[in-house]
Amino acid sequence: MSRSQDIARARGLGVGPRASVRERSRASRLLARLEPPTRGMGLGIAISLLPGIALFTAFFLVPLGVVVVTSLANWGPLGFAFDGLKNYRTLSHDAAFWAAMKNTALFAAAGVLLQVPVGVTLAIVLAQRIRGWRVLRVIYFLPNIVSIAALALVYLTVYNPRYGLLNQVLGAVGLPTSRDWLFDLHTALPAVAATWIFTAGIVMILTMAEIAGIPVEVYDAARVDGASPWQLTRHITLPLLRNIVGVCTILVLLATIGYFDGVYIMTGGGPANHTLTLAVYAFQQYSDSDWGYANTIGTVLIALGLVSIVLVRRAFRIGERDF
Amino acid sequence: MLLRLPVRIARAAFLTFVGLACLGPVVWVVLSSFKTQAQVFGAGNLIPAPFSLSGYRSLFTEIPLVHYLLNTLLYAGGGTVGALSVGLLAAYPAARMRFPFRRSLTVLFTVALAIPITGLIVPEFVIMRDLRLFDSQFGLVLFYSAMWFPLTFVILRAQLTGLPPSIEEAAALDGASYFQLLRRVILPLARPGLATAGVLVFINIWNDFLFNLLLAPSTAHQNVQVSLTLFRGQFRTDITAILAGTTVMMVIPVLTFVVLQRQVIAGLTAGASR
Repeated sequence: MSRSQDIARARGLGVGPRASVRERSRASRLLARLEPPTRGMGLGIAISLLPGIALFTAFFLVPLGVVVVTSLANWGPLGFAFDGLKNYRTLSHDAAFWAAMKNTALFAAAGVLLQVPVGVTLAIVLAQRIRGWRVLRVIYFLPNIVSIAALALVYLTVYNPRYGLLNQVLGAVGLPTSRDWLFDLHTALPAVAATWIFTAGIVMILTMAEIAGIPVEVYDAARVDGASPWQLTRHITLPLLRNIVGVCTILVLLATIGYFDGVYIMTGGGPANHTLTLAVYAFQQYSDSDWGYANTIGTVLIALGLVSIVLVRRAFRIGERDF
Repeated sequence: MLLRLPVRIARAAFLTFVGLACLGPVVWVVLSSFKTQAQVFGAGNLIPAPFSLSGYRSLFTEIPLVHYLLNTLLYAGGGTVGALSVGLLAAYPAARMRFPFRRSLTVLFTVALAIPITGLIVPEFVIMRDLRLFDSQFGLVLFYSAMWFPLTFVILRAQLTGLPPSIEEAAALDGASYFQLLRRVILPLARPGLATAGVLVFINIWNDFLFNLLLAPSTAHQNVQVSLTLFRGQFRTDITAILAGTTVMMVIPVLTFVVLQRQVIAGLTAGASR
């Protein structure tokens, strides 16, 4: 799933740990030479770091602590009382929670198995500088730059049973239907997924940049040996994209695991929890003033995010370079 | 590169399919926003004929849309300036100075990008409430600054680390203080990073839905995303106005991207491609 927030995350996840190994030696050399300017600037540095530390503490660190601790409590506007693992016990046989888990898992799987391959394929094709590739790059990226809220309104209109584009197109090709896609138990989930599954622009942009970074000499040798374009893609480009595909997989997983806006606006989680996600369920509990339970769901959501990042990093051996 | 015909056909079909799937609906909505209600219901006409602005007229008269646009601009502009300022202040020492816990602090700020933030709905609300910042426009600007600080930090740190080590030396020998160095030497050199990070952050705050809804819900404080989404709920029948509103929501980010494409793409890829 591609949305604005992840655009952002792309950057961080790509850099941090990956650059660290290479950077460390360069940075230490650099810092050795920076010693003189650093001297006597301790106070300036401390003041400079203060706003960042304050905001980070108030809006990331404390909330993380609060969400985990209060997931063990009965908490709402009226009061607070620890009650151990009660919320987690309730969660374990809460049908709505498991529906949300199932839908979130399906979204995540669809993102990894469809969106990532679509984005990588687009990148490989456009990286060959086919005619009009710049325009195509804008076209494929545009849905990623508009808000999920706007896209949700777009698709509410597209799926509208009376005047929607989808039923019009189906009618035009001889499959007339009056199906209400988002409110039909059988189609609601795929209909929601279809709103973001092809917006693979971020995967495409990141992969294109990675392809542009592959040294030309790598291909020259293979060409001299008579490799076909397909063989070049299959045996040279694809293996070298392992790292970036891993980064994209993390981005897509984070976005799908925390997916909120689209579901909240289009279906509110309905019909009968068929499109409910963890984030929407947590928001519902918050609205119902059951803050402790909302945070239990939130803790599960964050844990899923962190576990999947660790697993994907390991599976794709992110951080190791091939070229 | 020479490819066989079936391969080229398959490739064209793939490009067309994905293009239609991701942009077709958006184009259809933008076109439909220039139709009359009757044209929207009359199937089969893709291009509006005649061109009608009735949707836009009712949109601007039925809700104070300009007010919501200004709100969004305030949040996106203020949040971007806030995140860039805090980001630069933290990124400069992290990239070019030596101090205790430099590495752990850098890792912490970077890891913040990997938190699925929608899991933190309740704590963010409670903290804003306890800081007396709930449902305040200043509060929301501060919140967005915090939310996007890790991103600006990461982008700016990467850029500043790449600058040659000698640039501060002359100024430092002249006895310039830390903040003089930051303002006179680093700030001008950080411009590319500031532009890249700024564009990304601006678009992201412009597009935010959840945190405006959660933290500044009163009607006077809504941004375009929230106000037009709720507008749809209230005026289910006025379809052309909803279509016009959807188009208005998309205009600013799309224009920003088309004009500042290089900055956006640089911001996305600077880290991942190196």
